[in-house]
Amino acid sequence: MTKDDKPQEGMGLHEFFAKDPIAADKAFFGRVSYPDRRGFLRGAGLATMAAMVGANIPFHRNMPAGFIPVALASEDVLQGKDGLKLFNDRPVNAETPAHLLDDPITPTSRHFIRNNGLLPDDMDPAKWRLKVDGEVENELELSIDDLKNQFEVVTMALVIECGGNGRAYFDPPVSGNQWTVGAVGCSNWTGVRLKDVLTKAGLKSTAVYTGHEGADIHLSGDPDKVPISRGVPIEKAMADDVLIAFQMNDGPIHPMNGAPLRLVVPGWPGSCSQKWLTRIWVRDKVHDGEKMGGTSYRLPNRPVAPGEKVATEDFVIMERMPVKSIITFPENNAEVKGETEVRGHAWSGDRTIDALDISIDFGATWQRAELDQPVNSGAWQNWRANVKFPTPGYYEIWARATDSEGVAQPFAVAWNPRGYGNNVMHRIAVRVS
Amino acid sequence: MVRKTARAALALVSALLLVTTVEASEFGVLVEGKGAEETYYACSGCHSEKLIAQQGLTRERWDELIDWMIEEQGMPELDDNERKLILDYLAENYGPDRPNFPFK
Repeated sequence: MTKDDKPQEGMGLHEFFAKDPIAADKAFFGRVSYPDRRGFLRGAGLATMAAMVGANIPFHRNMPAGFIPVALASEDVLQGKDGLKLFNDRPVNAETPAHLLDDPITPTSRHFIRNNGLLPDDMDPAKWRLKVDGEVENELELSIDDLKNQFEVVTMALVIECGGNGRAYFDPPVSGNQWTVGAVGCSNWTGVRLKDVLTKAGLKSTAVYTGHEGADIHLSGDPDKVPISRGVPIEKAMADDVLIAFQMNDGPIHPMNGAPLRLVVPGWPGSCSQKWLTRIWVRDKVHDGEKMGGTSYRLPNRPVAPGEKVATEDFVIMERMPVKSIITFPENNAEVKGETEVRGHAWSGDRTIDALDISIDFGATWQRAELDQPVNSGAWQNWRANVKFPTPGYYEIWARATDSEGVAQPFAVAWNPRGYGNNVMHRIAVRVS
Repeated sequence: MVRKTARAALALVSALLLVTTVEASEFGVLVEGKGAEETYYACSGCHSEKLIAQQGLTRERWDELIDWMIEEQGMPELDDNERKLILDYLAENYGPDRPNFPFK
């Protein structure tokens, strides 16, 4: 088969590729040849080929060069979502603009998406099974109905925030999705407590950590690789506000948010909240799954300068997320006449918020906002203030939360090589007339 | 991979319909330049080129990232010429000054 061979009218792809896959790739895709095009055939390329076996080629004469990437990214990945800003479509990563997070409880359509891999093919709740094993007296294998029947079902408003929320503001830039402020949500999650399930399984004295597994698929298509498998110390797993959730805002969990079953571990990096949850593996050591090691979700063991190189062994696992707040009204760059309500939410991992202060003069003076209690442990707290502007002009509204340990949001980014934990104050601009 | 057949077949059909509406640039959101094509095809087998376009990294950091992807994430090896071409492209267009940052 030469590069000029084209598949015949109506010829199945299977037959075309069967003879010589490498040459067929060149012929079919009209691709510029490299000395070794094997790369394309492994991983995702191979997966695509296999998927296309059996499909005829209606437009074989007109196949454009960029065909494969378009085919892999052609679905509307933001279906069921409203107004999210798409950073990446493979894997899907999308944040919510601040003004669309105004609701006290984040609607499903407004909850951000942070995927590490591809969605599982089958998210049928009737067929779903959760395995609980490892350092437990009794291994469990539970259906979603089992969870509903055997354990107390609760609904809690719980904050999930991406560990990298705020990464865009790092200078020098660091690698990863460049989230600004919207990789956070507080939806109502219905499920059972992880604590109750682990209690039924019976933790052995050797249990120190959980390891979570999900059904998402590695980007490369390699079935022996997983996109992510993190865990938490057993003390955190046994908290009252960690849920194995099967409903989101009284409805089905959005496929992009982990349907039909997921963990929700409030106040810790979102990566602890395994989506498409299939297994809780109770470990006798710190979990070492995908994205637990290296520098993933890890911070240097000391403060470092912007751009500083840090040895891998000097990184420690990021646990609770730091104190943070967001201004959800008015919208950035809004026009305001004289005065306005300003409102938003505040949260701090494993803590509550003591105060939320507003400044309109770049931090020179502060006004205390009215602050609600959280509806339950693990929820964010809503706040509001009436702000009067002394004269027309350009102003910035800054919001600064102080948590129950007296820790407030900083004025500048504590730079770290992977861009985690940026809890700098949210600042919005308004034009006052 | 058989289980992905139905989904990918649907994607195949809708992609064929969508081909004429794809953005003008051949390489998604990546800016044109020497090495753009090699970068696009070396990388977008697994993930969207949108991930690349967000970054602002030194050449050295790009190099480390490529090593990580090859060693840990199943990326096929690049030969020396290809790697140099891709690193040149990335260092010039997606360095720390972020001259081509795709978001406001």
